[in-house]
Amino acid sequence: MNGTLLDVRDLRMEFQSGGSLLGRRRKMVVGAVDGVSLSVRAGETLGLVGESGCGKTTLGRCILRAYKPTSGQLNYTREDGSTVDLATVKGAELRSYRREIRTVFQDPNSSLNPRMTVLQVIGEPLRVNGMASGSELTDRVAETLRLVGLRPEYMRRYPHAFSGGERQRIGIARALVTRPRLVIADEAVSALDVSVRSQILNLMQDLQEQLGLTYIFVSHDLSVIQHLCDRVAVMYVGQIVETAETDALFSRPRHPYTETLLAALPRPDPRLRKNERATMLRGEVPDPANPTAGCRFHPRCPYVRDDCKDGIPELAAVTPEHHARCRYAAELELRGVASLV
Amino acid sequence: MSENEPLLEVRGLKTHYAMTEGLVRAVDGVDLRVSAGETLCVVGESGCGKSVTARSILQLVDAPGKIVDGQILFHAGEGHAATSGKKRKRDLAAALPAGVVDIAALDPKGEQIRAIRGKEIAMIFQEPMSSLSPVHTIGNQIIENILLHERMTKKEARELAIEELRNVGIPRPEQRIDAYTFQLSGGMRQRAMIAMALACRPKLLIADEPTTALDVTTQAQILELLQGLQEQLGMAIIFITHDLGVVAEIADRVSVMYLGLVVEDTDVDSIFHAPQHPYTQALLRSLPMVGKRSKQHLATIRGMVPHPYNRPRGCPFHTRCDKAIPGRCDVELPKLIQRDSRSVRCVLYDDAEIAAADGKAT
Repeated sequence: MNGTLLDVRDLRMEFQSGGSLLGRRRKMVVGAVDGVSLSVRAGETLGLVGESGCGKTTLGRCILRAYKPTSGQLNYTREDGSTVDLATVKGAELRSYRREIRTVFQDPNSSLNPRMTVLQVIGEPLRVNGMASGSELTDRVAETLRLVGLRPEYMRRYPHAFSGGERQRIGIARALVTRPRLVIADEAVSALDVSVRSQILNLMQDLQEQLGLTYIFVSHDLSVIQHLCDRVAVMYVGQIVETAETDALFSRPRHPYTETLLAALPRPDPRLRKNERATMLRGEVPDPANPTAGCRFHPRCPYVRDDCKDGIPELAAVTPEHHARCRYAAELELRGVASLV
Repeated sequence: MSENEPLLEVRGLKTHYAMTEGLVRAVDGVDLRVSAGETLCVVGESGCGKSVTARSILQLVDAPGKIVDGQILFHAGEGHAATSGKKRKRDLAAALPAGVVDIAALDPKGEQIRAIRGKEIAMIFQEPMSSLSPVHTIGNQIIENILLHERMTKKEARELAIEELRNVGIPRPEQRIDAYTFQLSGGMRQRAMIAMALACRPKLLIADEPTTALDVTTQAQILELLQGLQEQLGMAIIFITHDLGVVAEIADRVSVMYLGLVVEDTDVDSIFHAPQHPYTQALLRSLPMVGKRSKQHLATIRGMVPHPYNRPRGCPFHTRCDKAIPGRCDVELPKLIQRDSRSVRCVLYDDAEIAAADGKAT
């Protein structure tokens, strides 16, 4: 149960941008994911948080192998216990992993083809992977629909006939129909209303228990992350800056960026209104095409010291389960949410 | 603050959309009230009519939508002194009405509403990328608004625009004024839109989900900016959002909407610590709370928001309400019950109903 399912080692994903046809403008290389190492344990929910542009979606897509990473390893443990580096597999072998690692997208309105019925949408991964056809396919779609709390009778309808929450259930069914082991949920509840969001979160928890799934839950919403995840990785400009167990991260963050994120979170209780924002974040997320020298966070960090400009700090262990990419992680007294209550 | 004279009162506002498939009653009898200097948050899930209410206040409802009933009373104050000298070609300031105006009765394209829009009441939108023009510099867009409402030369207007950009915290405004929207980050674009809205010193700012598309850290910056500017300028804000965290952070009063109706209206502390309407209660229970961690299930509201073509009879929430009384909630629309400074639209708080229940009990 607690073995490593996926071990990401020094993963890099670079995109080229700019540059004109005649080569008059200089080409730029954007390191969207810049040396990420991360392990995902079987059966856990790992949260991936960060602001837009930090590379969390790109990292998810690399794991799905929607992108081919520029360098690095994706060591995936097969069901029989052997490991394989997904970053280099190709062709038919890669296709076989596409059943095992699946994704749920953010916006159920744009991620379902309006011209396909629910049966076609959910059945397509089975058909493409040659896993089922004909009445067997219909049966499996019906079974998956029941699993996500939809009535199989509706499988011949089109997505527009369903509400936002139901469409997200269809999205989840499409991910689960191939019986995956790892599901990457990329902002899967961000587009949903509060009352529907709680239904989907509960459903995802139930399915995890029932099917023994492992989740990578990508989100910018810390309250959802805290509710759902066992461990959390915080990303900033292409790098992981902190990983820890959820409770440890929320009660005692070790990286100044995590503290800032927690402090910026609006909390649904007017009595917790901050009289003054002690750690107001200065400036904006830097452009990943043009990252700052030294610690990526130092221009915005309230605790910045002189040597923060020299070289990128290592992601080092503060406690065995708690890693932070900050030279002063051990000495800084950072405030988590518990101290805000 | 709540003892103040109201700045804007919405009474029984109905905005309907006549679609080929049927009539959508997007806003169906909304009452709102906001005083000078106050922040009113309008909360609700998608489709509850909060944005349509906001757009109705500025007469910006798109066809086939139409305000069919109700009043939007804006207390405009003295208005502007009558123009001396010759009238300019586009002198909207002269059209600015004095006293109490019913915006709902104005012609959506008339001079009077155009004099109010952008000058007395300004609006900022959710997605600055789609509500700012991509082919004009932000400076030109701000200057256009200033020139429309103020008697200024272009040069003065440009200086004012630079000053406004500085006010909202845009670095190097002398250069940024000539930037196009795509050259700015999301947070900067939202700041530019706020600068444009505030350039003419509106008495009321309507903010329709202005931080929903932003990151939490940027959101905190924008909220703080809005609060600071509100203190400085003394304007009232109607803040539309679905995020209860944001509400707790900035609101003075809160109106909760469900299916085109205000179901509860009270001060911000009572909404979170003594909610009355079953919908408000359920909404708060379904929030994952930071700080109290548990892997337990969240409370949910069963079912979903009904389709607008298919509104339930009686109380709009009765199909999902745990406290619904059969034969009553599904028959008639509950009255808005006022008590002290709060109001709630639910039969559970009806004096007659409570008395009847007590009578049965004794």
